[in-house]
Amino acid sequence: MAQMQTPNVQMPPSRAFTFHLDFEGLGWLTIDVPDAPVNTLSRETLAELAGIVTALEEMASSGELKGVVLLSGKDSGFIAGADITEFDEMSDPGVLRAALDRAHGLFDRIEALKVPVVAGIHGFCLGGGLELALACHYRVAVNDDRTRLGFPEVNLGIFPGFGGSGRSIRQAGPVDAMQIMLTGKLLRASPARRMGLVDKLVRVRDTLRWEARKAVLQARKSSPAPFTKRVMALGPVRGYVANKMRAEVGRKAKPEHYPAPYSLIELFEQHGDDWRAMKRGEAERFIPLMNSNTSKNLRRVFFLSEGLKKQGVRGKDKPVFRRVHVIGAGVMGGDIAAWCALRGMGVTLQDLDMERIKPALDRAKALFRKRLRSKTEIDNAVARLEADVTGKGLARADVVIEAVVENLEIKRKIFAEAELKTRPGAILATNTSSIELERIAENLTAPGRLIGLHFFNPVAQLPLVEVIRSRFNADADIARGAAFALAIGKSPVVVKSAPGFLVNRVLMPYMLGAVQRVEAGANKEQIDAAAVAFGMPMGPIELMDTVGLDVGKSVAEELGNPVAPDSQFARLIADRKLGRKTGQGFYTWSNGKAVKGEVPPHPDLAGLGRELVQPLVNATAVAVAEGVVASDDLADIGVIYGTGFAPFLGGPMQARKDGRA
Amino acid sequence: MAELRKVAIVGSARIPFARAYTGYAEEGNLTMLGAALGGLVEKYNLRGEHIGEVMAGAVLSHSRDFNLAREASLDAGLSPRTPGTNVQIACGTSLQAALALGAKIAIGEIDSAIAAGTDTVSDSPVVFGDKFQHRAINLSRARTTGEKLKAFKGFNLGELTPVAPSTQEPRTGLSMGQHCELMARQWDISREEQDALALRSHQNAARAYDEGFHDDLVVPFAGVLKDNNVRADTSLEKMATMKPAFDKQSGHGTLTAANSTPLTDGAASVLLASEDWARARGLPVLAYLTLGQVAANDFAGGEGLLMAPTIAVSEMLRRSNLTFADIDLFEIHEAFAAQVLATLKAWRDPDYNRVTLGRDTPLGEIDPDRINVRGSSLAYGHPFAATGARILGLTAKSLATSGKQRALISVCTAGGMGVAALVERAA
Repeated sequence: MAQMQTPNVQMPPSRAFTFHLDFEGLGWLTIDVPDAPVNTLSRETLAELAGIVTALEEMASSGELKGVVLLSGKDSGFIAGADITEFDEMSDPGVLRAALDRAHGLFDRIEALKVPVVAGIHGFCLGGGLELALACHYRVAVNDDRTRLGFPEVNLGIFPGFGGSGRSIRQAGPVDAMQIMLTGKLLRASPARRMGLVDKLVRVRDTLRWEARKAVLQARKSSPAPFTKRVMALGPVRGYVANKMRAEVGRKAKPEHYPAPYSLIELFEQHGDDWRAMKRGEAERFIPLMNSNTSKNLRRVFFLSEGLKKQGVRGKDKPVFRRVHVIGAGVMGGDIAAWCALRGMGVTLQDLDMERIKPALDRAKALFRKRLRSKTEIDNAVARLEADVTGKGLARADVVIEAVVENLEIKRKIFAEAELKTRPGAILATNTSSIELERIAENLTAPGRLIGLHFFNPVAQLPLVEVIRSRFNADADIARGAAFALAIGKSPVVVKSAPGFLVNRVLMPYMLGAVQRVEAGANKEQIDAAAVAFGMPMGPIELMDTVGLDVGKSVAEELGNPVAPDSQFARLIADRKLGRKTGQGFYTWSNGKAVKGEVPPHPDLAGLGRELVQPLVNATAVAVAEGVVASDDLADIGVIYGTGFAPFLGGPMQARKDGRA
Repeated sequence: MAELRKVAIVGSARIPFARAYTGYAEEGNLTMLGAALGGLVEKYNLRGEHIGEVMAGAVLSHSRDFNLAREASLDAGLSPRTPGTNVQIACGTSLQAALALGAKIAIGEIDSAIAAGTDTVSDSPVVFGDKFQHRAINLSRARTTGEKLKAFKGFNLGELTPVAPSTQEPRTGLSMGQHCELMARQWDISREEQDALALRSHQNAARAYDEGFHDDLVVPFAGVLKDNNVRADTSLEKMATMKPAFDKQSGHGTLTAANSTPLTDGAASVLLASEDWARARGLPVLAYLTLGQVAANDFAGGEGLLMAPTIAVSEMLRRSNLTFADIDLFEIHEAFAAQVLATLKAWRDPDYNRVTLGRDTPLGEIDPDRINVRGSSLAYGHPFAATGARILGLTAKSLATSGKQRALISVCTAGGMGVAALVERAA
């Protein structure tokens, strides 16, 4: 470390920042927020920074400071964003306005410093962190797998509020900048560099400081986006671009549910050709967004999902999962195996013969091709997934997942063998959705070893895994199950062993209720449109077709709702019209899409949708009351992740509390 | 001088070995070696730890990797105070590194060390021919336009043909495979014997994998979890269909792709220490590295390019007063099946023993059940500089888990050299 100089200017005390001036006149400013795993920009931290910037201004004008390098002292990364835990306290528009003005003023002062200011970025550089980096004159980032830059604000119902909307357009041009702000997509180092958010990449973190020093000494200044990019925000082109963006966003989110992206597009339409004006216009639009129910609910969903990540086992007992043995190469087993391999596990997939395994391997290959970038990555993923007709993978597996037909005797036999052949610490899990966990476990020597890991179809798209707890399980068994779900990038929600667990139990009355309406003569397109208008990702009839009518029927029966034999539902099943997979169900399916007719007009579609989801909300409340899930919070996040239930409403329990469902 | 200290082998870590142009097509020596060292750091909790010295090397190396051992040590998270030394003696690199480091530990210069090696064929340095290279250097030194133009005087486009790195012997112009064909002819090694040895190597390696022997030796890297050259399902019938790989014309060729090591990418590392250092950190001592020997022969004079290990082993045993009967496990690196078979035959041959090894009584026969019992390079593959560390790590664990007493390692190298080592069970 360079020899320290004592600056002539007094640095104000700070908890989050350390500063030293070296003999070359470089000021090294390091952010390391105490008692936190990641750096965030709280009001306190920003206030400290403001004091430091005042000192830097004095040092710069006295000539003793040649430049500033801003680095993070944390392994986790640069700065993960503003401190979201403070957002609720900012509900008073006056308070929020003042806070935003202070942050804008501070970032403007950093940008206006007479000496070069360079940000050295590793790991996460998100939201307010990226806005701060963009207020620096030059950005260097580590080109490794962990670096991520982006604006996830839109997922919280807001958009960048510290000047990032204007500054990102200045650096990356309107199309790229708006794209990342509207989608919340996080960029790796190389694309961020290509986009112009970062000026220089280095291989390792050690090199950040040296490249940053060079940048200061050469007074490098990041160039704004070239005219070829800026032209997309000029004159009449801008209106056209804005409309394209609205159409793009409209495919995923309705303005009445998710106003933030639309508000950002309007801001762009007003000021997209003038980054300063765009920056100035932020606050006025930002304040109502922050105070909206949507944002409050999305913030809560964010905290709940962060809470799920804290489950599992931490510290030195944290298990390492490398090998997964999946028994049963059907749709669920095969797709679970493929997902685990995609996420880096070594997977052995067992079934009676190669003919049964082959289709699963083919589907896996298609998944790898879709999700991985290079041929080498795809080949390596293919190599991680092995067919295993003899079951030799059992002995070395860290996790065994059974996904065979729903037959108690077969499952009992599988786990009797697994209990003998696996090593003692290995997780034994069943993906059953209809057989009581206790009945499979009861004959085992250690019945507490068996847990449920209930995945949802399609496995690659649904983030939820229900970790099913039987009365034999100890907390540690469940924690290890949750740890595994997290290790493969899924969100675990612990659910008591009870028919339908959580998701199927709440979905089924809702879907069957809708089917009954259709049987009674309601228009299915209207039913589905109403559910979507309420905020569901897909209508209940289309969902039934997607799940498969046969599957729906068996789950319904298991939950004590037998399908009437003379119903249309029963007739469709009898005719093998099982939905999407057979090309015909309630809808005709073409190229994976339901062919839909006109939606008949309805005075209050959203109101009808709200009626439709009543059974779902009721069932959720009963599930909580019966202790199937531990809390309203877990019920909300579980139902959101498992069914796509309107996140902007905060989940069924929250929506009911708010009188919105 | 103080008494010599014992050299403990604490353990090893390597990345899976991958056939060239497969799993590590996007990686290089630095990332691979860094990952192997990172495996040791994880396993033995060495983050930020000051290791006495890291010695490592690569046979095929970019000039930018002039400080490969040092850079990889920093990447792996060892203390910046850990020095890193590059070494290179072809396929003997990481075993030679272990011997050099062992000596430093024995005399008390350092208390801990990492011996490692890496090689990649997929990212080998491709350069311009000498002529163009000199032009480029002259150009960079030129000051005036005239001088710059002069640098290109007599230029022809053919000079731009890139030159791939070669593993040909500079002194003979033959490839290693061609040399080994000659050894097979000279020692009368049949194709069938070679195939049988290769088959056994694959079967032994596959069994070791299935038994989980490698589970704590191999660390995943770049999405690769296991060696991709080990073939549990190969057979003599399949091998018999292969055509000779090096002698394609004479009709005498016996070396094929099945009984020769494939071009391989990979990296391996071994943690060595004084007993006190290991004990103070609560780390295990799997075995002791007790002896080493490097030797060379007159390959250019016709002694057989890969026969020098016969000398190294003979010398080492002479120094320790041991015979083959005292050795429980033999780890004989399988550059080619024919190389192993010729070596074994030479040790049995009275003339060779007398003339080349200076022994009146031949070293003699080795029980085949003691040789490469967990397979060797024919199965695992052979990233040149990494092989020694792979073998040393595997040997130490074999001794620790099998109850055997003593193991001998022999590795042949290009340039008519060989490195041997003796490893003994701890306690």
